[in-house]
Amino acid sequence: MFGTLLNLQWKQARRSPAYEKSLVVKIILGFFIIYFALIFIALGFFSHKILAEVYPDQSPVASFNSFLLFYFLIDLVSRFMLQDLPVLAIQPFLHLPVKRNKLVHFVLLRSIPSVFNLLMLLVFVPFMLRAVVPVHGIGIALVWLASLLLLTFINNFILIYFKRQLTSNPKITLLLALVVGGLMLLDYLQVLSLRQVSMVAFGALLQQPWLIILPLLMLVGVYLLNYRFLMQHLYPEEIYVKRVATVEGSDMAFLNKFGDTGKLIALELKLIWRHKRPKSMVMISAFLLFYGLIFYTNKVYLEGWGMLIFVGIFVTGAPMFNYGQFVPAWQSAHYDALLTRPISTYQYVKAKYLMFVPSILLVTVLTLPYALFGTKVLLINLASCVFNIGVNSIVVLYFAALNKERLDLSNGSAFNWQGVGASKFVMMLPMVLGPVAIFLPFSFMDIPQWGIFALAFTGALGIVFHRQLLRKMAKRLEDRKYTLAAGYRQH
Amino acid sequence: MIIEVKDLVKAYSDTTVVNIQSLHVAAGETIGLVGNNGAGKTTLFRMLLDLVRPTDGVVTSKSIPVAHNDAWKYYTGSHLDEGFLIDYLTPEEYFKFIGDLHGLSTGDIQERLQPFMDLFNGEILQQRKYIRDFSKGNQKKVGIAAAALSHPELLILDEPFANLDPSSQIRLKNLLRSLHEQHGMTLLISSHDLSHVTEVCERIVILEKGQIVQDMQTTQDTLQALEAYFTV
Repeated sequence: MFGTLLNLQWKQARRSPAYEKSLVVKIILGFFIIYFALIFIALGFFSHKILAEVYPDQSPVASFNSFLLFYFLIDLVSRFMLQDLPVLAIQPFLHLPVKRNKLVHFVLLRSIPSVFNLLMLLVFVPFMLRAVVPVHGIGIALVWLASLLLLTFINNFILIYFKRQLTSNPKITLLLALVVGGLMLLDYLQVLSLRQVSMVAFGALLQQPWLIILPLLMLVGVYLLNYRFLMQHLYPEEIYVKRVATVEGSDMAFLNKFGDTGKLIALELKLIWRHKRPKSMVMISAFLLFYGLIFYTNKVYLEGWGMLIFVGIFVTGAPMFNYGQFVPAWQSAHYDALLTRPISTYQYVKAKYLMFVPSILLVTVLTLPYALFGTKVLLINLASCVFNIGVNSIVVLYFAALNKERLDLSNGSAFNWQGVGASKFVMMLPMVLGPVAIFLPFSFMDIPQWGIFALAFTGALGIVFHRQLLRKMAKRLEDRKYTLAAGYRQH
Repeated sequence: MIIEVKDLVKAYSDTTVVNIQSLHVAAGETIGLVGNNGAGKTTLFRMLLDLVRPTDGVVTSKSIPVAHNDAWKYYTGSHLDEGFLIDYLTPEEYFKFIGDLHGLSTGDIQERLQPFMDLFNGEILQQRKYIRDFSKGNQKKVGIAAAALSHPELLILDEPFANLDPSSQIRLKNLLRSLHEQHGMTLLISSHDLSHVTEVCERIVILEKGQIVQDMQTTQDTLQALEAYFTV
């Protein structure tokens, strides 16, 4: 039975539209996956050296252990934000002669092989080989690794249990994040050191491997909790967390001032707010605000220019890139409705533009504190802001017309490749390389400041001529509308 | 002529799904389109609404080609499938959005929805639900009401009776008749229900394998003739 169910799952994945991508997309995705996998492996491989340098007075294994509890807490919080419930379509099996407990076990076990559970093995295994095995021997090292895996699975099942109960309540997630943040602060202030606890706990495990029984028991506990809950609620309407909450219609009155374009924007804002995928994309965009910290805290980058331009473009444009890559596919489910109503394509394109611009301005204002890293950062970010508004917004709209894959809005956006086509990657090239290309000649002439002004100037030109450019983009969308509409109709 | 179709062909690689030499729809006519699955009814409607590019031929509305033109959208209401609904809005928000596009005030919208109250059966308005959470039948009611909201000169509906319960079917039938009588609305509907379509429409067009095989005015014998035609 299990074999049959697995086989069906495999077919479901194999035959899902998300899997049927062109070869180019597969290659690019494969490249990204390998790239990130290598980063993680390298991290695991070298972390004992890094730890030995940062904490010279204790062994790398002890230092590593001291971070583990925090790691698992953060893991839990990020799962609350990113991980989706495993949706196995068990509905077709419920009326067939299949034992209920088998179905439940299958639903639960099926959740284990996922990115969230297996990604960190890429770090843990190299670290184990390099640091734990030489000191403690292979047997104990394997027990250590097993305990980490068990803890990961515990997190997995905790998440599933709570997410089923509470649906996805953002307040709970926020609360959890605050608690973890608070614990970190206490640790930093040396009031209550969770790191100390973590070091002792995992240290004890290395001395007395039988202690692995503790996480094992915990895992069995949460597993049974889930099992019992599901057994009692094995009805489609109770399992699938689709609660039809009562909703109030709303009217965004201030947008009415902008006429029909304003109404299109209001429509789009409701779309973002009332679907899971765009909503989680907004959340990810909020996190990307901190992207700059990775670069600005590094002197090597801070002295150069090119990397800072890249960061500036990316930081001020992140929400636009994230959202814009799926314009107009966000509306694929009702594209026919838009086409048969009296809405001109120019109005439509203008509404998109008028959503991009405030998002860029908002992000630019929010990232103003980066000025603390120097006026150079501030200048570059402001120039990037102008460039994003004037030029990159149009580039996004230009590539938008290539999106002809229907977008499923009901799943979260993290690790969600549904509807991602080659054009998304191609789109990134001119948006990032363009500004660098404008800047480079000035850099060669040794007047980099002028390069930044040139960047802003190009952006300003784009803003001045935005009407003409938007008309061109509208024309392009108009020319491709049959292709787009036909693509969006395909489920 | 509110709709004029000339030498209209739609072919996908080697199969021709629609091939119509000529079809004229005069203002004020009520036309029922019948035909088995795959006869090309929906594709024809999509071409009338400029949602599918014809392989050959043109569709004109009031002598203006519909392709790449917005003029017809102001006097044409349509509902083919769920793709015509903005399903994350509540029905009220959706009606408001459509009404706004046609410059209707909230009062206008309420007044124009009044005839639909029987059809809605108290299950559409003030339900505090998004359209996506309604049943198929109720979604269809929302779509039809939205299509007729602007009192369009031409109303195009694809299988309006499907998914509706018997009472709703009868109410919809009466509603369509009165929309035609009171506002002179031109109706173009497709249906698999031969008796409903002959009751509502004064002219019946039979489509088979993409071609018009019969085009007749409805008389007392039409229903029998249709039943005879489709009996195999």
